[in-house]
Amino acid sequence: MNVSKLIVIIISAAFFIYFLFPIYWTFVTSIKQSVDIFSYPPIFFPSKPTFENYYAPSQEFGAVSLTALNSIPYMVSSFAVGIITTIAGTFLIGAPAAYSIVRYAKGGKVFSRMILFMIMVPAAAFIIPFFQIVIHLHLIDTWWGLSLSYLSFTVPFATWMMMGYFYDIPVEVEEAALVDGVSRMRAFYDVAMKMVVPGLTATSILGFITCWNEFLYALILTFSPYNFSFPPVGSQTVPVFISSFVVIEKSFAWGGLAAAGLFTALPSIILGLYAQKYLARGLTLGAVKG
Amino acid sequence: MKLLGFSRVVKRDKTWFFLLLPAIAYFLLFFAYPVYNLFYNSLTTQSGTITSQNFSYLLKDPYLPTVLWVTLLYVIGAVGLEMLAGISLAIIAQNLASKVRGALQIITILPLMIPPVIVGLMFLLLYDTNYGPIDFFLRSLGLPAVNWLGSTNLALLSVILADVWRYSPFVFLIIFAALQSVPSHLYEAAMLEGPSRWQMFRHVTLPMIRPALVVALLLDTIGVLKGFDLIYVLEGGGPGLATTVLSYYIYIWGFVYNNPHVAAALSILFLAIVLLIVGVTIKFTKIEEYLGLKRK
Repeated sequence: MNVSKLIVIIISAAFFIYFLFPIYWTFVTSIKQSVDIFSYPPIFFPSKPTFENYYAPSQEFGAVSLTALNSIPYMVSSFAVGIITTIAGTFLIGAPAAYSIVRYAKGGKVFSRMILFMIMVPAAAFIIPFFQIVIHLHLIDTWWGLSLSYLSFTVPFATWMMMGYFYDIPVEVEEAALVDGVSRMRAFYDVAMKMVVPGLTATSILGFITCWNEFLYALILTFSPYNFSFPPVGSQTVPVFISSFVVIEKSFAWGGLAAAGLFTALPSIILGLYAQKYLARGLTLGAVKG
Repeated sequence: MKLLGFSRVVKRDKTWFFLLLPAIAYFLLFFAYPVYNLFYNSLTTQSGTITSQNFSYLLKDPYLPTVLWVTLLYVIGAVGLEMLAGISLAIIAQNLASKVRGALQIITILPLMIPPVIVGLMFLLLYDTNYGPIDFFLRSLGLPAVNWLGSTNLALLSVILADVWRYSPFVFLIIFAALQSVPSHLYEAAMLEGPSRWQMFRHVTLPMIRPALVVALLLDTIGVLKGFDLIYVLEGGGPGLATTVLSYYIYIWGFVYNNPHVAAALSILFLAIVLLIVGVTIKFTKIEEYLGLKRK
Protein backbone atom coordinates (compact mmCIF):
# COMPACT_ATOMS: atom_id res chain seq x y z
CA MET A 1 0.00 0.00 0.00
CA ASN A 2 1.46 3.32 -1.00
CA VAL A 3 1.20 6.67 0.70
CA SER A 4 -1.27 8.33 -1.68
CA LYS A 5 -3.65 5.39 -1.31
CA LEU A 6 -3.44 5.73 2.46
CA ILE A 7 -4.21 9.43 2.23
CA VAL A 8 -7.27 8.72 0.09
CA ILE A 9 -8.48 6.19 2.67
CA ILE A 10 -7.96 8.60 5.56
CA ILE A 11 -9.73 11.45 3.76
CA SER A 12 -12.69 9.33 2.76
CA ALA A 13 -12.96 7.91 6.29
CA ALA A 14 -12.98 11.48 7.57
CA PHE A 15 -15.81 12.36 5.20
CA PHE A 16 -17.82 9.30 6.24
CA ILE A 17 -17.48 10.26 9.90
CA TYR A 18 -18.23 13.90 9.15
CA PHE A 19 -21.50 13.12 7.39
CA LEU A 20 -22.62 10.29 9.66
CA PHE A 21 -21.66 11.48 13.12
CA PRO A 22 -24.41 14.14 13.55
CA ILE A 23 -27.01 11.52 12.57
CA TYR A 24 -25.43 8.93 14.84
CA TRP A 25 -25.31 11.37 17.74
CA THR A 26 -28.99 12.23 17.33
CA PHE A 27 -29.86 8.55 17.20
CA VAL A 28 -27.80 7.76 20.31
CA THR A 29 -29.47 10.66 22.12
CA SER A 30 -32.87 9.28 21.16
CA ILE A 31 -32.16 5.88 22.74
CA LYS A 32 -30.56 7.23 25.93
CA GLN A 33 -32.24 7.45 29.28
CA SER A 34 -32.39 11.05 30.40
CA VAL A 35 -29.68 10.54 33.04
CA ASP A 36 -27.35 9.48 30.28
CA ILE A 37 -28.23 12.47 28.11
CA PHE A 38 -27.23 14.92 30.84
CA SER A 39 -23.93 13.39 31.81
CA TYR A 40 -20.37 14.50 31.39
CA PRO A 41 -18.26 13.17 29.76
CA PRO A 42 -20.88 12.47 27.08
CA ILE A 43 -21.80 8.83 26.52
CA PHE A 44 -21.10 7.65 22.99
CA PHE A 45 -22.28 4.07 23.43
CA PRO A 46 -25.15 3.89 25.94
CA SER A 47 -25.00 0.72 28.03
CA LYS A 48 -28.73 0.60 28.69
CA PRO A 49 -30.46 1.75 25.50
CA THR A 50 -34.21 2.39 25.65
CA PHE A 51 -36.77 2.99 22.96
CA GLU A 52 -39.15 4.75 25.32
CA ASN A 53 -38.52 8.05 23.55
CA TYR A 54 -40.17 6.56 20.49
CA TYR A 55 -43.34 5.08 21.89
CA ALA A 56 -43.86 5.77 25.61
CA PRO A 57 -46.06 8.74 26.58
CA SER A 58 -43.26 10.08 28.78
CA GLN A 59 -44.00 13.03 31.05
CA GLU A 60 -40.69 13.05 32.88
CA PHE A 61 -40.00 16.69 32.07
CA GLY A 62 -43.48 17.89 32.85
CA ALA A 63 -45.62 19.53 30.24
CA VAL A 64 -42.82 20.20 27.75
CA SER A 65 -41.98 16.62 27.00
CA LEU A 66 -42.67 14.53 23.96
CA THR A 67 -42.05 11.24 22.20
CA ALA A 68 -42.01 10.35 18.54
CA LEU A 69 -45.68 9.35 18.82
CA ASN A 70 -46.67 12.96 19.53
CA SER A 71 -45.66 13.94 16.01
CA ILE A 72 -48.27 11.76 14.30
CA PRO A 73 -51.02 14.41 13.90
CA TYR A 74 -48.41 16.75 12.42
CA MET A 75 -47.17 14.04 10.09
CA VAL A 76 -50.74 13.54 8.82
CA SER A 77 -50.88 17.26 7.95
CA SER A 78 -47.45 17.23 6.30
CA PHE A 79 -48.49 14.19 4.32
CA ALA A 80 -51.84 15.65 3.22
CA VAL A 81 -50.32 18.96 2.17
CA GLY A 82 -47.52 17.17 0.32
CA ILE A 83 -49.99 15.00 -1.60
CA ILE A 84 -52.40 17.83 -2.46
CA THR A 85 -49.54 20.05 -3.63
CA THR A 86 -47.82 17.32 -5.62
CA ILE A 87 -50.96 16.24 -7.47
CA ALA A 88 -52.01 19.78 -8.31
CA GLY A 89 -48.52 21.09 -9.05
CA THR A 90 -47.21 18.18 -11.10
CA PHE A 91 -50.21 16.59 -12.79
CA LEU A 92 -52.74 19.40 -13.16
CA ILE A 93 -50.50 22.43 -13.75
CA GLY A 94 -46.84 21.58 -14.34
CA ALA A 95 -46.94 18.67 -16.78
CA PRO A 96 -49.58 20.15 -19.17
CA ALA A 97 -47.72 23.48 -19.20
CA ALA A 98 -44.40 21.75 -19.87
CA TYR A 99 -45.94 19.76 -22.73
CA SER A 100 -47.45 22.88 -24.22
CA ILE A 101 -44.15 24.77 -24.06
CA VAL A 102 -42.12 21.89 -25.50
CA ARG A 103 -44.45 20.61 -28.25
CA TYR A 104 -46.01 23.82 -29.45
CA ALA A 105 -42.87 25.95 -29.05
CA LYS A 106 -44.85 28.91 -27.72
CA GLY A 107 -43.47 31.63 -25.52
CA GLY A 108 -39.86 30.71 -26.10
CA LYS A 109 -37.37 32.73 -24.12
CA VAL A 110 -39.98 34.55 -22.01
CA PHE A 111 -41.39 31.36 -20.47
CA SER A 112 -38.03 29.86 -19.67
CA ARG A 113 -36.87 33.07 -17.99
CA MET A 114 -40.08 33.28 -16.01
CA ILE A 115 -39.71 29.69 -14.79
CA LEU A 116 -36.11 30.32 -13.84
CA PHE A 117 -36.93 33.44 -11.88
CA MET A 118 -39.96 31.90 -10.18
CA ILE A 119 -37.83 29.02 -8.95
CA MET A 120 -35.35 31.49 -7.50
CA VAL A 121 -37.90 33.57 -5.54
CA PRO A 122 -37.12 33.26 -1.82
CA ALA A 123 -40.09 32.19 0.31
CA ALA A 124 -39.34 35.05 2.71
CA ALA A 125 -40.11 37.61 0.00
CA PHE A 126 -43.61 36.16 -0.46
CA ILE A 127 -44.69 35.57 3.15
CA ILE A 128 -46.55 38.88 3.36
CA PRO A 129 -48.64 38.38 0.18
CA PHE A 130 -49.35 34.71 0.89
CA PHE A 131 -50.37 35.43 4.46
CA GLN A 132 -52.79 38.11 3.25
CA ILE A 133 -54.14 35.95 0.41
CA VAL A 134 -54.73 32.95 2.66
CA ILE A 135 -56.36 35.11 5.35
CA HIS A 136 -58.57 36.71 2.69
CA LEU A 137 -59.68 33.29 1.41
CA HIS A 138 -60.43 32.15 5.01
CA LEU A 139 -58.00 29.29 4.53
CA ILE A 140 -55.62 30.12 7.37
CA ASP A 141 -54.53 27.05 9.34
CA THR A 142 -55.94 24.63 6.76
CA TRP A 143 -54.28 22.08 4.50
CA TRP A 144 -55.68 23.97 1.49
CA GLY A 145 -54.17 27.31 2.46
CA LEU A 146 -50.73 25.86 3.02
CA SER A 147 -50.97 23.85 -0.21
CA LEU A 148 -51.71 27.05 -2.14
CA SER A 149 -48.51 28.63 -0.90
CA TYR A 150 -46.55 25.45 -1.68
CA LEU A 151 -47.67 25.62 -5.30
CA SER A 152 -45.45 28.69 -5.60
CA PHE A 153 -42.37 26.47 -5.66
CA THR A 154 -43.74 23.10 -6.86
CA VAL A 155 -45.26 24.42 -10.11
CA PRO A 156 -42.14 26.06 -11.61
CA PHE A 157 -40.04 23.12 -10.45
CA ALA A 158 -42.42 20.52 -11.92
CA THR A 159 -42.75 22.47 -15.18
CA TRP A 160 -39.01 22.61 -15.57
CA MET A 161 -38.48 18.93 -14.70
CA MET A 162 -41.22 17.80 -17.07
CA MET A 163 -39.93 20.00 -19.91
CA GLY A 164 -36.75 17.92 -19.82
CA TYR A 165 -38.70 14.66 -20.01
CA PHE A 166 -40.97 15.83 -22.84
CA TYR A 167 -37.95 17.02 -24.85
CA ASP A 168 -36.57 13.49 -24.57
CA ILE A 169 -39.53 11.55 -26.00
CA PRO A 170 -39.89 11.24 -29.78
CA VAL A 171 -42.66 13.30 -31.33
CA GLU A 172 -43.42 10.59 -33.96
CA VAL A 173 -45.48 8.46 -31.58
CA GLU A 174 -47.89 11.31 -30.93
CA GLU A 175 -47.97 12.22 -34.62
CA ALA A 176 -48.89 8.63 -35.45
CA ALA A 177 -51.70 8.83 -32.90
CA LEU A 178 -52.90 12.09 -34.46
CA VAL A 179 -52.95 10.44 -37.90
CA ASP A 180 -55.10 7.68 -36.38
CA GLY A 181 -57.64 10.38 -35.56
CA VAL A 182 -56.95 10.82 -31.86
CA SER A 183 -57.66 14.32 -30.55
CA ARG A 184 -54.70 16.45 -29.48
CA MET A 185 -55.80 16.42 -25.86
CA ARG A 186 -55.89 12.61 -26.00
CA ALA A 187 -52.45 12.58 -27.65
CA PHE A 188 -51.21 14.40 -24.58
CA TYR A 189 -53.04 12.43 -21.87
CA ASP A 190 -53.01 8.94 -23.38
CA VAL A 191 -49.78 8.93 -25.38
CA ALA A 192 -47.27 11.51 -24.14
CA MET A 193 -48.09 11.26 -20.41
CA LYS A 194 -47.66 7.47 -20.53
CA MET A 195 -44.18 7.85 -21.96
CA VAL A 196 -43.02 10.18 -19.21
CA VAL A 197 -44.20 8.11 -16.22
CA PRO A 198 -40.66 7.82 -14.79
CA GLY A 199 -40.36 11.61 -15.05
CA LEU A 200 -43.69 12.12 -13.32
CA THR A 201 -42.59 9.76 -10.53
CA ALA A 202 -39.28 11.55 -10.01
CA THR A 203 -40.91 14.98 -10.11
CA SER A 204 -43.62 13.94 -7.64
CA ILE A 205 -41.17 12.42 -5.18
CA LEU A 206 -38.79 15.38 -5.21
CA GLY A 207 -41.71 17.80 -4.97
CA PHE A 208 -43.18 15.87 -2.06
CA ILE A 209 -39.86 15.89 -0.17
CA THR A 210 -39.57 19.64 -0.67
CA CYS A 211 -43.06 20.09 0.80
CA TRP A 212 -42.37 17.71 3.67
CA ASN A 213 -39.25 19.68 4.64
CA GLU A 214 -40.63 23.20 4.10
CA PHE A 215 -40.74 25.42 7.14
CA LEU A 216 -41.26 29.16 6.61
CA TYR A 217 -44.69 29.15 4.91
CA ALA A 218 -45.89 26.52 7.39
CA LEU A 219 -44.66 28.67 10.27
CA ILE A 220 -46.82 31.63 9.29
CA LEU A 221 -49.83 29.76 7.86
CA THR A 222 -50.48 26.93 10.34
CA PHE A 223 -51.11 27.05 14.09
CA SER A 224 -52.89 24.01 15.49
CA PRO A 225 -52.48 20.23 15.23
CA TYR A 226 -54.80 18.20 13.03
CA ASN A 227 -57.51 16.75 15.29
CA PHE A 228 -58.43 13.72 13.17
CA SER A 229 -61.86 15.08 12.29
CA PHE A 230 -63.43 15.40 8.88
CA PRO A 231 -63.59 17.95 7.35
CA PRO A 232 -60.07 18.44 8.65
CA VAL A 233 -59.41 21.05 11.32
CA GLY A 234 -55.87 22.14 12.16
CA SER A 235 -52.90 21.85 9.85
CA GLN A 236 -49.60 22.41 11.66
CA THR A 237 -46.79 20.49 9.97
CA VAL A 238 -43.89 18.54 11.44
CA PRO A 239 -41.11 21.16 11.11
CA VAL A 240 -43.26 23.80 12.87
CA PHE A 241 -44.09 21.35 15.65
CA ILE A 242 -40.44 20.38 16.25
CA SER A 243 -39.20 23.97 16.06
CA SER A 244 -41.85 25.17 18.51
CA PHE A 245 -40.59 22.70 21.07
CA VAL A 246 -37.06 24.01 20.72
CA VAL A 247 -37.68 27.72 20.23
CA ILE A 248 -40.92 28.52 22.04
CA GLU A 249 -41.20 25.87 24.76
CA LYS A 250 -37.41 25.84 25.25
CA SER A 251 -37.82 22.16 25.98
CA PHE A 252 -34.87 20.14 27.22
CA ALA A 253 -36.54 16.81 26.50
CA TRP A 254 -33.67 16.07 24.13
CA GLY A 255 -34.34 12.33 24.01
CA GLY A 256 -37.93 12.78 22.86
CA LEU A 257 -36.97 15.58 20.47
CA ALA A 258 -34.20 13.50 18.90
CA ALA A 259 -36.59 10.55 18.54
CA ALA A 260 -39.32 12.71 17.01
CA GLY A 261 -36.77 14.39 14.72
CA LEU A 262 -35.41 11.16 13.30
CA PHE A 263 -38.84 9.56 13.08
CA THR A 264 -40.30 12.47 11.12
CA ALA A 265 -37.25 12.72 8.84
CA LEU A 266 -37.69 9.09 7.75
CA PRO A 267 -40.24 9.67 4.94
CA SER A 268 -37.91 12.17 3.24
CA ILE A 269 -34.90 9.93 3.68
CA ILE A 270 -36.63 6.83 2.33
CA LEU A 271 -38.11 8.66 -0.66
CA GLY A 272 -34.77 10.38 -1.31
CA LEU A 273 -32.89 7.09 -1.38
CA TYR A 274 -35.58 5.61 -3.63
CA ALA A 275 -35.31 8.51 -6.07
CA GLN A 276 -31.51 8.56 -5.87
CA LYS A 277 -30.80 8.32 -9.57
CA TYR A 278 -33.01 11.32 -10.37
CA LEU A 279 -31.51 13.42 -7.64
CA ALA A 280 -28.62 15.10 -9.46
CA ARG A 281 -31.05 16.28 -12.14
CA GLY A 282 -33.75 17.38 -9.70
CA LEU A 283 -31.33 19.19 -7.44
CA THR A 284 -30.12 21.33 -10.28
CA LEU A 285 -33.34 23.24 -10.13
CA GLY A 286 -34.79 23.89 -6.78
CA ALA A 287 -35.67 20.47 -5.42
CA VAL A 288 -35.22 20.08 -1.69
CA LYS A 289 -33.68 23.40 -0.76
CA GLY A 290 -36.84 25.43 -0.23
CA MET B 1 -37.20 20.32 -37.72
CA LYS B 2 -39.56 17.83 -36.17
CA LEU B 3 -40.82 20.13 -33.47
CA LEU B 4 -41.77 22.75 -36.06
CA GLY B 5 -43.54 20.05 -38.07
CA PHE B 6 -45.67 19.24 -35.06
CA SER B 7 -46.53 22.84 -34.41
CA ARG B 8 -47.37 23.43 -38.09
CA VAL B 9 -49.83 20.54 -38.09
CA VAL B 10 -51.65 22.10 -35.18
CA LYS B 11 -51.37 25.74 -36.17
CA ARG B 12 -55.05 26.56 -35.87
CA ASP B 13 -55.49 24.29 -32.91
CA LYS B 14 -55.89 25.80 -29.46
CA THR B 15 -54.92 22.74 -27.42
CA TRP B 16 -51.65 24.41 -26.43
CA PHE B 17 -53.66 27.17 -24.79
CA PHE B 18 -55.90 24.84 -22.79
CA LEU B 19 -52.86 22.92 -21.57
CA LEU B 20 -51.23 26.16 -20.51
CA LEU B 21 -54.37 27.61 -18.94
CA PRO B 22 -53.88 26.19 -15.40
CA ALA B 23 -50.31 27.48 -15.41
CA ILE B 24 -51.46 30.93 -16.55
CA ALA B 25 -54.04 31.05 -13.77
CA TYR B 26 -51.36 29.90 -11.36
CA PHE B 27 -48.97 32.58 -12.60
CA LEU B 28 -51.52 35.36 -12.15
CA LEU B 29 -52.62 34.24 -8.67
CA PHE B 30 -49.33 33.10 -7.18
CA PHE B 31 -46.79 35.30 -8.85
CA ALA B 32 -48.24 38.40 -10.49
CA TYR B 33 -50.67 39.09 -7.67
CA PRO B 34 -48.14 38.62 -4.83
CA VAL B 35 -45.74 41.01 -6.58
CA TYR B 36 -48.56 43.54 -6.96
CA ASN B 37 -49.49 42.95 -3.31
CA LEU B 38 -45.90 43.67 -2.25
CA PHE B 39 -45.83 46.96 -4.15
CA TYR B 40 -49.24 47.89 -2.76
CA ASN B 41 -48.24 47.12 0.82
CA SER B 42 -44.91 48.85 0.55
CA LEU B 43 -46.45 52.03 -0.88
CA THR B 44 -49.30 52.41 1.63
CA THR B 45 -49.72 53.04 5.34
CA GLN B 46 -51.85 51.12 7.80
CA SER B 47 -54.85 53.31 6.88
CA GLY B 48 -54.34 52.74 3.15
CA THR B 49 -53.03 56.13 2.07
CA ILE B 50 -50.26 56.25 -0.51
CA THR B 51 -46.84 56.98 0.95
CA SER B 52 -43.15 56.51 0.37
CA GLN B 53 -42.40 56.43 4.07
CA ASN B 54 -41.71 52.67 4.19
CA PHE B 55 -38.85 52.99 1.75
CA SER B 56 -37.53 56.21 3.26
CA TYR B 57 -37.64 54.50 6.65
CA LEU B 58 -35.44 51.70 5.28
CA LEU B 59 -32.94 54.25 3.96
CA LYS B 60 -32.29 55.47 7.49
CA ASP B 61 -32.93 52.18 9.30
CA PRO B 62 -29.84 51.81 11.54
CA TYR B 63 -30.10 47.98 11.45
CA LEU B 64 -30.43 47.41 7.71
CA PRO B 65 -26.71 47.88 6.87
CA THR B 66 -25.82 45.30 9.54
CA VAL B 67 -28.46 42.90 8.20
CA LEU B 68 -27.13 43.23 4.65
CA TRP B 69 -23.57 42.75 5.90
CA VAL B 70 -24.53 39.62 7.86
CA THR B 71 -26.37 38.30 4.79
CA LEU B 72 -23.29 38.90 2.63
CA LEU B 73 -20.98 37.18 5.14
CA TYR B 74 -23.39 34.26 5.40
CA VAL B 75 -23.57 33.82 1.63
CA ILE B 76 -19.81 34.16 1.08
CA GLY B 77 -18.93 31.88 4.00
CA ALA B 78 -21.48 29.16 3.35
CA VAL B 79 -21.24 29.14 -0.45
CA GLY B 80 -17.44 29.32 -0.36
CA LEU B 81 -17.08 26.39 2.03
CA GLU B 82 -19.80 24.36 0.32
CA MET B 83 -18.26 24.77 -3.13
CA LEU B 84 -14.81 23.93 -1.74
CA ALA B 85 -16.01 20.85 0.16
CA GLY B 86 -18.34 19.68 -2.62
CA ILE B 87 -15.75 19.98 -5.40
CA SER B 88 -12.97 18.34 -3.33
CA LEU B 89 -15.29 15.53 -2.36
CA ALA B 90 -16.30 14.98 -6.00
CA ILE B 91 -12.66 14.81 -7.10
CA ILE B 92 -11.78 12.45 -4.25
CA ALA B 93 -14.80 10.27 -4.98
CA GLN B 94 -13.58 9.77 -8.54
CA ASN B 95 -10.46 8.06 -7.21
CA LEU B 96 -12.33 5.74 -4.88
CA ALA B 97 -13.23 2.12 -5.47
CA SER B 98 -16.75 1.96 -6.88
CA LYS B 99 -18.22 0.34 -3.75
CA VAL B 100 -16.87 3.06 -1.46
CA ARG B 101 -18.02 5.67 -3.94
CA GLY B 102 -21.52 4.20 -3.96
CA ALA B 103 -21.63 4.25 -0.18
CA LEU B 104 -20.43 7.86 -0.15
CA GLN B 105 -23.17 8.85 -2.59
CA ILE B 106 -25.83 7.25 -0.39
CA ILE B 107 -24.45 8.84 2.78
CA THR B 108 -24.32 12.30 1.26
CA ILE B 109 -28.00 12.05 0.35
CA LEU B 110 -28.96 11.85 4.03
CA PRO B 111 -28.06 15.44 5.05
CA LEU B 112 -29.88 16.75 1.98
CA MET B 113 -33.06 14.86 2.74
CA ILE B 114 -33.36 15.53 6.47
CA PRO B 115 -35.69 18.54 7.02
CA PRO B 116 -33.55 21.61 7.79
CA VAL B 117 -35.41 22.16 11.05
CA ILE B 118 -34.31 18.69 12.18
CA VAL B 119 -30.76 19.48 11.05
CA GLY B 120 -30.98 22.52 13.33
CA LEU B 121 -32.09 20.29 16.19
CA MET B 122 -29.21 17.89 15.50
CA PHE B 123 -26.68 20.71 15.65
CA LEU B 124 -28.21 22.04 18.87
CA LEU B 125 -27.32 18.67 20.39
CA LEU B 126 -23.81 18.77 18.91
CA TYR B 127 -23.06 22.36 19.92
CA ASP B 128 -24.35 22.00 23.49
CA THR B 129 -21.78 23.57 25.81
CA ASN B 130 -22.39 21.28 28.78
CA TYR B 131 -23.05 17.85 27.35
CA GLY B 132 -22.23 18.17 23.64
CA PRO B 133 -19.63 15.98 21.92
CA ILE B 134 -17.84 18.85 20.11
CA ASP B 135 -16.86 20.57 23.30
CA PHE B 136 -15.91 17.24 24.80
CA PHE B 137 -13.39 16.73 22.00
CA LEU B 138 -12.05 20.26 22.35
CA ARG B 139 -11.63 19.84 26.09
CA SER B 140 -9.97 16.44 25.79
CA LEU B 141 -7.47 18.07 23.45
CA GLY B 142 -6.83 20.63 26.18
CA LEU B 143 -8.58 23.40 24.30
CA PRO B 144 -11.07 25.73 25.99
CA ALA B 145 -14.78 25.02 25.63
CA VAL B 146 -16.46 27.21 23.04
CA ASN B 147 -19.83 28.90 23.38
CA TRP B 148 -20.82 28.14 19.79
CA LEU B 149 -24.33 29.50 19.75
CA GLY B 150 -24.23 32.14 22.45
CA SER B 151 -21.24 34.19 21.41
CA THR B 152 -21.75 37.07 18.99
CA ASN B 153 -18.53 36.31 17.15
CA LEU B 154 -19.18 32.63 16.57
CA ALA B 155 -22.96 32.54 16.07
CA LEU B 156 -22.86 33.08 12.31
CA LEU B 157 -19.99 30.61 11.92
CA SER B 158 -21.98 27.98 13.82
CA VAL B 159 -24.92 28.41 11.44
CA ILE B 160 -22.57 28.32 8.44
CA LEU B 161 -20.96 25.07 9.63
CA ALA B 162 -24.37 23.44 10.04
CA ASP B 163 -25.34 24.65 6.56
CA VAL B 164 -22.09 23.25 5.14
CA TRP B 165 -22.87 19.84 6.61
CA ARG B 166 -26.33 19.95 5.14
CA TYR B 167 -25.59 21.41 1.75
CA SER B 168 -22.09 20.55 0.54
CA PRO B 169 -23.59 17.22 -0.68
CA PHE B 170 -25.66 19.32 -3.07
CA VAL B 171 -22.53 20.69 -4.73
CA PHE B 172 -20.90 17.26 -4.53
CA LEU B 173 -23.74 15.43 -6.32
CA ILE B 174 -23.93 17.99 -9.15
CA ILE B 175 -20.17 18.18 -9.73
CA PHE B 176 -19.74 14.44 -9.36
CA ALA B 177 -22.42 13.74 -11.98
CA ALA B 178 -20.63 16.18 -14.31
CA LEU B 179 -17.22 14.56 -13.71
CA GLN B 180 -18.69 11.13 -14.44
CA SER B 181 -20.06 12.32 -17.76
CA VAL B 182 -16.73 13.56 -19.15
CA PRO B 183 -16.08 11.08 -22.00
CA SER B 184 -12.98 9.00 -21.27
CA HIS B 185 -11.65 9.33 -24.83
CA LEU B 186 -10.95 12.99 -24.04
CA TYR B 187 -8.59 11.96 -21.26
CA GLU B 188 -7.03 9.29 -23.46
CA ALA B 189 -6.42 11.78 -26.28
CA ALA B 190 -4.93 14.31 -23.85
CA MET B 191 -2.65 11.68 -22.34
CA LEU B 192 -0.74 11.56 -25.63
CA GLU B 193 0.56 15.07 -24.87
CA GLY B 194 1.95 13.87 -21.52
CA PRO B 195 0.26 16.53 -19.36
CA SER B 196 0.72 17.03 -15.62
CA ARG B 197 -2.24 16.33 -13.36
CA TRP B 198 -2.97 20.04 -13.03
CA GLN B 199 -2.77 20.60 -16.82
CA MET B 200 -5.15 17.71 -17.32
CA PHE B 201 -7.61 19.22 -14.86
CA ARG B 202 -7.23 22.75 -16.18
CA HIS B 203 -7.51 21.99 -19.89
CA VAL B 204 -9.68 18.85 -20.09
CA THR B 205 -11.80 18.46 -16.96
CA LEU B 206 -12.52 22.08 -16.10
CA PRO B 207 -13.99 23.12 -19.47
CA MET B 208 -16.20 20.03 -19.41
CA ILE B 209 -17.60 20.65 -15.92
CA ARG B 210 -17.91 24.42 -16.21
CA PRO B 211 -21.69 24.32 -16.79
CA ALA B 212 -22.12 22.24 -13.62
CA LEU B 213 -19.93 24.67 -11.67
CA VAL B 214 -22.01 27.64 -12.82
CA VAL B 215 -25.25 25.84 -11.95
CA ALA B 216 -23.98 24.76 -8.52
CA LEU B 217 -22.66 28.24 -7.72
CA LEU B 218 -25.88 30.02 -8.71
CA LEU B 219 -28.22 27.59 -7.00
CA ASP B 220 -26.14 27.38 -3.85
CA THR B 221 -25.97 31.17 -3.65
CA ILE B 222 -29.74 31.52 -4.03
CA GLY B 223 -30.28 28.57 -1.68
CA VAL B 224 -28.20 30.17 1.07
CA LEU B 225 -29.91 33.53 0.50
CA LYS B 226 -33.26 31.80 1.01
CA GLY B 227 -31.98 30.23 4.25
CA PHE B 228 -34.23 30.69 7.25
CA ASP B 229 -34.88 27.38 9.01
CA LEU B 230 -31.43 26.75 10.50
CA ILE B 231 -31.13 30.32 11.74
CA TYR B 232 -34.60 30.20 13.30
CA VAL B 233 -33.90 26.98 15.20
CA LEU B 234 -30.26 27.54 16.15
CA GLU B 235 -30.10 31.26 16.87
CA GLY B 236 -33.37 33.11 16.31
CA GLY B 237 -31.42 35.87 14.57
CA GLY B 238 -29.30 36.62 17.61
CA PRO B 239 -27.33 37.21 19.67
CA GLY B 240 -28.11 40.83 18.81
CA LEU B 241 -28.21 40.95 15.04
CA ALA B 242 -25.36 38.46 14.62
CA THR B 243 -27.42 36.00 12.54
CA THR B 244 -30.22 38.26 11.29
CA VAL B 245 -30.10 37.73 7.53
CA LEU B 246 -32.48 39.41 5.11
CA SER B 247 -34.99 36.50 5.15
CA TYR B 248 -35.13 36.63 8.90
CA TYR B 249 -35.41 40.41 9.01
CA ILE B 250 -38.46 40.29 6.71
CA TYR B 251 -40.04 37.71 9.01
CA ILE B 252 -39.34 39.90 12.07
CA TRP B 253 -40.93 42.97 10.47
CA GLY B 254 -43.89 41.04 9.14
CA PHE B 255 -44.71 38.70 11.99
CA VAL B 256 -43.00 39.97 15.14
CA TYR B 257 -43.42 43.74 14.66
CA ASN B 258 -46.62 43.05 12.64
CA ASN B 259 -45.71 45.70 10.09
CA PRO B 260 -46.45 44.25 6.61
CA HIS B 261 -45.62 47.60 4.98
CA VAL B 262 -41.95 47.76 5.91
CA ALA B 263 -41.72 43.98 5.47
CA ALA B 264 -43.09 44.39 1.92
CA ALA B 265 -40.53 47.12 1.16
CA LEU B 266 -37.79 44.75 2.39
CA SER B 267 -39.26 41.94 0.27
CA ILE B 268 -39.01 44.12 -2.83
CA LEU B 269 -35.38 44.83 -2.00
CA PHE B 270 -34.84 41.07 -1.59
CA LEU B 271 -36.53 40.28 -4.93
CA ALA B 272 -34.41 42.96 -6.62
CA ILE B 273 -31.21 41.37 -5.25
CA VAL B 274 -32.26 37.92 -6.47
CA LEU B 275 -33.34 39.32 -9.86
CA LEU B 276 -29.95 41.01 -10.17
CA ILE B 277 -28.02 37.81 -9.38
CA VAL B 278 -30.10 35.71 -11.79
CA GLY B 279 -29.98 38.44 -14.47
CA VAL B 280 -26.20 38.74 -14.30
CA THR B 281 -25.88 34.95 -14.51
CA ILE B 282 -28.17 34.81 -17.57
CA LYS B 283 -26.21 37.63 -19.20
CA PHE B 284 -22.71 36.24 -18.68
CA THR B 285 -23.27 32.47 -18.80
CA LYS B 286 -25.46 30.07 -20.73
CA ILE B 287 -27.34 29.13 -17.58
CA GLU B 288 -30.66 28.52 -19.37
CA GLU B 289 -29.01 26.04 -21.72
CA TYR B 290 -27.16 24.38 -18.85
CA LEU B 291 -30.45 23.90 -17.02
CA GLY B 292 -32.18 22.53 -20.11
CA LEU B 293 -34.70 25.36 -20.18
CA LYS B 294 -33.65 26.14 -23.72
CA ARG B 295 -32.68 23.76 -26.49
CA LYS B 296 -30.09 24.70 -29.08
